[in-house]
Amino acid sequence: MNLTQEKLNDHLLLQVVGRLDTTQSDSFEKQIMEILDQGHEKIILDCKGLNYISSSGLRIFLIMQKKMMGAGGQFKICGLQPSIKEIFDMSGFTMIFSIYQDVDEALKA
Amino acid sequence: MIIAFGFFPVLLFLFCLFMLDSFKLVSVRVLALCVAWGIVSAFLAFLLNTGLDRLFYFDFETLTRYVAPVTEEVVKVAFLLLVVARRHAGFMIDAAIYGFAIGTGFALAENTWYYMQLGADFHVVLAIVRGFGTAIMHGGTVAVCAIILLEGMQRSGNIVITGVVGLFVAILLHSVFNHFIFDPLLQAILIVVFLPVAFWLVFMYATKHLQQWLEVEFSNEVDMLSMIRAGKLKETKAGRYLATLKEHFSSENLVDMYCYFSLYLELSIKAKRNILLKESGFPAIIESDISDKLAEMKLLRRQIGKAGEIALLPLVRMSHRELWELNQLG
Repeated sequence: MNLTQEKLNDHLLLQVVGRLDTTQSDSFEKQIMEILDQGHEKIILDCKGLNYISSSGLRIFLIMQKKMMGAGGQFKICGLQPSIKEIFDMSGFTMIFSIYQDVDEALKA
Repeated sequence: MIIAFGFFPVLLFLFCLFMLDSFKLVSVRVLALCVAWGIVSAFLAFLLNTGLDRLFYFDFETLTRYVAPVTEEVVKVAFLLLVVARRHAGFMIDAAIYGFAIGTGFALAENTWYYMQLGADFHVVLAIVRGFGTAIMHGGTVAVCAIILLEGMQRSGNIVITGVVGLFVAILLHSVFNHFIFDPLLQAILIVVFLPVAFWLVFMYATKHLQQWLEVEFSNEVDMLSMIRAGKLKETKAGRYLATLKEHFSSENLVDMYCYFSLYLELSIKAKRNILLKESGFPAIIESDISDKLAEMKLLRRQIGKAGEIALLPLVRMSHRELWELNQLG
C-alpha cells in the first residue's frame, strides 16, 4: 500500500495504491491520522489504485469520515474500482460516504 | 458518605468495562435490565438463604461459605442465561459486561441492606471491604461465568453444559472468597489490583478476536455474494458443493437453500457493517426492508428443515455468534 498527497485547489488529494488489509491498515491509519491532525478542511481520497479493501481498511475510512464530519470538513471518496464499489454498495456504506466517479467530479461537488 | 465506598467502586468498575467495549456491543437497555435483575436477585437470594437457614439451621460459616455462594450465584446467573439465550450477547466482551452488571445490582442492594442494618456500625473499613472486595467479587463471578458461557457456546453451542460449567466456576470463586483465607482488607486490595488487569487482558484478547472475525468473514461473505450476483456461483467451491446436493434434495428445496444462503450473506454483511459503524461512532443503519428479509430468512430456514440446515453447514454455520449477529439487525 502506498499513500501520496498533493494540494489541489482548496482540497488535499490523497491517492492510495495497492491493498488495504489487516497487514497494511496500521501504517495506513498512522499516516491518515497525521494528515487529519494537520486540520485540512477538504479531503479527497482517490482510490483509483486501490485493488483490495477489507474491514480494517473500511474502519479507517469510517474514522476519516467521522473526524472530518466532527471538524465540519468534507471527506470525499472517488475512483473506486468496480469490485471495491460493489463492497460499498452491498454493505450499504454508500449511505455513509460521499462517493464520486473521479477527482474532477469530487472537486466540483 | 461512608455508604459511597460501598457503591462507588463497583459502579466505577462497571463504567470502565463499558468504556472498554470499543465495538459498542453492549445495549444500554439490556445493561439496565441486568443491574435491575441484580437488585431483584439480591432480594431473592436473601429470601432463599433465610428460608434454607430456617429449614436446616446452618452455622454461620456453612451458610456464608457453601450455601450463600450457591443460592446467590444461581439467581444471578439465571438472568445471564436468559440474556445469552435471547442472543443479546455475542462476544465475551458484552457478555462479561452484562454479567458484571448483574453482580453490580446485587452488590448495590446487598450493601444498602448492610448499611441499613448496621447503621453507625457500618464503619469505613467495612465499607471499603464490602465496596472494593465483596461488591466487585459479586460482579466478577458472574462476568467470569459469562466469559466461560460465551466461549463454550461458540465451541459447542450447548448452553446447558457451558452454563453449568460457568455457574460452577462462579460458585467456586464466590466460596473461596467467602472463606477469607487472607485478611478481608488484603483480599479487597488483591481484587482491586488483579481483577482489572485480568479483565483488561480478556478484553484485549476478545477485541483482537472480534477484529479477526470481522476481517475474515466480511471479505469472504462479500466475495461470495458478489459471485452469486454475477451468476458465477458455480465457479466457486460453495457452488460446486451446492451442486452435489442435487442428488439428495428436491429442486424446490435446493432453490430455498440457495435463497437462504444468499439472503444470509446479505444480512450478515449488513450486520457486520453495523458493528463497524458503531465502533466508529456512527449509528447503525437499519434498512426499511431488513425486517422483511429477516422474516423471509426465518421462513426459508423452516422450509429447508433441519436436514437442509445440516447440509448447508459448510456454507452457513448458524452458531450462537451468527444468530446474535443477525439479531442485531432486528
